[in-house]
Amino acid sequence: MPRSEFQSLSFDGLTERLARGVARSASRRGVLAWVGLVAGAIPAFPLLPVRRAEAASAKPQSPFAASAQTKDQNACDYWRYCAIDGNLCSTCGGGVHTCPPGTAPSPTSWIGTCFNPQDTKSYLIAYRDCCGQDACDAGATCLNTDGDLPSYRPQANNDIIWCFGTTSAMYNCSTAVIVGTAE
Amino acid sequence: MLVFRRSRRAVGFVMRAARCAVLPALTCVSVAHAGPASASDPILQTEENDIATLPAIGPHVVFIEDPVYRHAKDGRVLIVDADQGRLLGMVQAAYNANFVAERATGAIHVAETTWAHGNRGKRYDLLAGYDPKALTVTTDIELPGRALVTPKKPNMALSANDSRIYIGDMSPTNGVHVLEAKTGKLLGTIDTPGCALVYPWGGTGFSSVCADGSLVNVDSADVAKPAVTHTPSFFAPDRDPVFEHSPEVAADGHVPFISFSGLVYDAALGGTPTIAAPWSIEQAAGMKPASDSRAPFEVTWRPGGWQLAALHRADNTLYVLMHKGTFWTHKDSGTEIWVFDLHAHKLLRRLHLARPSAMVGVTQDSKPLLFTTDDDGDLFIADAQTGQVKRTMKHLGDSLVFTVAGGE
Repeated sequence: MPRSEFQSLSFDGLTERLARGVARSASRRGVLAWVGLVAGAIPAFPLLPVRRAEAASAKPQSPFAASAQTKDQNACDYWRYCAIDGNLCSTCGGGVHTCPPGTAPSPTSWIGTCFNPQDTKSYLIAYRDCCGQDACDAGATCLNTDGDLPSYRPQANNDIIWCFGTTSAMYNCSTAVIVGTAE
Repeated sequence: MLVFRRSRRAVGFVMRAARCAVLPALTCVSVAHAGPASASDPILQTEENDIATLPAIGPHVVFIEDPVYRHAKDGRVLIVDADQGRLLGMVQAAYNANFVAERATGAIHVAETTWAHGNRGKRYDLLAGYDPKALTVTTDIELPGRALVTPKKPNMALSANDSRIYIGDMSPTNGVHVLEAKTGKLLGTIDTPGCALVYPWGGTGFSSVCADGSLVNVDSADVAKPAVTHTPSFFAPDRDPVFEHSPEVAADGHVPFISFSGLVYDAALGGTPTIAAPWSIEQAAGMKPASDSRAPFEVTWRPGGWQLAALHRADNTLYVLMHKGTFWTHKDSGTEIWVFDLHAHKLLRRLHLARPSAMVGVTQDSKPLLFTTDDDGDLFIADAQTGQVKRTMKHLGDSLVFTVAGGE
């Protein structure tokens, strides 16, 4: 595919140009501080729409969504776990958006778009890791891959240890936090 | 430890025999049932501990990454004699570690991460080099950082002449640390903004895959002033990204990049890479090409797994784990291995797996062995031609995720 076609994807192109610009002009520690600042400020800003086309339809847009359930937050097929990879914090002493005691949520995350079969809406889900203790192997471990892209697309990759900005980058479990509707 | 136990057992027997002389008959009967040595048995010689050394690392010795996901700070690299199905040794590889093995000597280098107080305190990103015979540490240096990600082979690489080690970083900007293998000396860090992974070529070059579906190509001969080129985008990451574990052997720059749908982009990496037009592995098997993310519900044969493909360099054959599923099942374990002639784009054979595997590896000799695993951490060693399992190592590890065969 020619490069120009990608550049016409305005959001991706803008993001890439921004990232490259930051990378060229900033030191590593400076970027860390910048990311921390932005991450801390995220709740104060409206969320960017992602996958509008998917949100426009009331039908599940992926095989996972077609068979997802809305009752059991401790099971891998719970609707908002469509792209989760790791241990469910809800089975590790925390909750669907709650870190277990002794751990801390990372201010950074990867983002999925999951379809809720109950209200037939799609939501942006931030998969924020809880960090500071070793893996919670006693809980449920899931590997869901809806929209999961390789690590050269880090914002959509669920293999990265998303513990940037926490005191210890040791991964314990993953939460799935609703951060907006994808509409 | 074993010798010590034997000594205790011998002392116990002498004490029981002495007790027999003074206690009632019942005690003596129980001693007789215990099967005391007869007078004709030779007395076992006393022993001293010694330490085994590894044999020369031939093509059928395989290094296997086990990140032990259940308690990831305890990962390890296992060293297996695939001809015997025997564990030869292991080294610690802490917390989503990665490693490379020198092709000439078999010396391994492990990039790992620890914390001063176990799970807390100062973080150390380290590169440990090991003696290829004794597995003693020969170099042990602190890195400026490294990417913490579930271990993937192309997050670390070794140059074609075994002289340079490349370690991917993401903290959070992307970069590659370049180190001298012999000394562990950090030569420098090259920023690769928007690009990740390391596919080495030649003595000083590597390429990384970028977010827009292009490659960045770096000649690091002068680490302070690397020569950098970019290719045009050749795949669409949103629709049909290429797998990170697209295989490469001996840093020769030949990488068949495999997409989630099964398109193969045969690349000859270098300062100005050439990337051939893609071909479909399903089509090569007489089927229609699999759909990409625009038609995610289509169920068909697709590539998938973790180390989902392996390359036999001399035969130019590509081994791919395949399963039946929809799009977005790219990490599902394979139920078959499809073997392709990379020159002819032709399916050579399909090998059925008794246990689905997320990992496939192959040795590089003329009688290659094939490695697969399962959810129980078993290692299956098979004939790569027939797929027949020759040896099974039960529960070799917790999570066997990738292999590096001797000389690979």
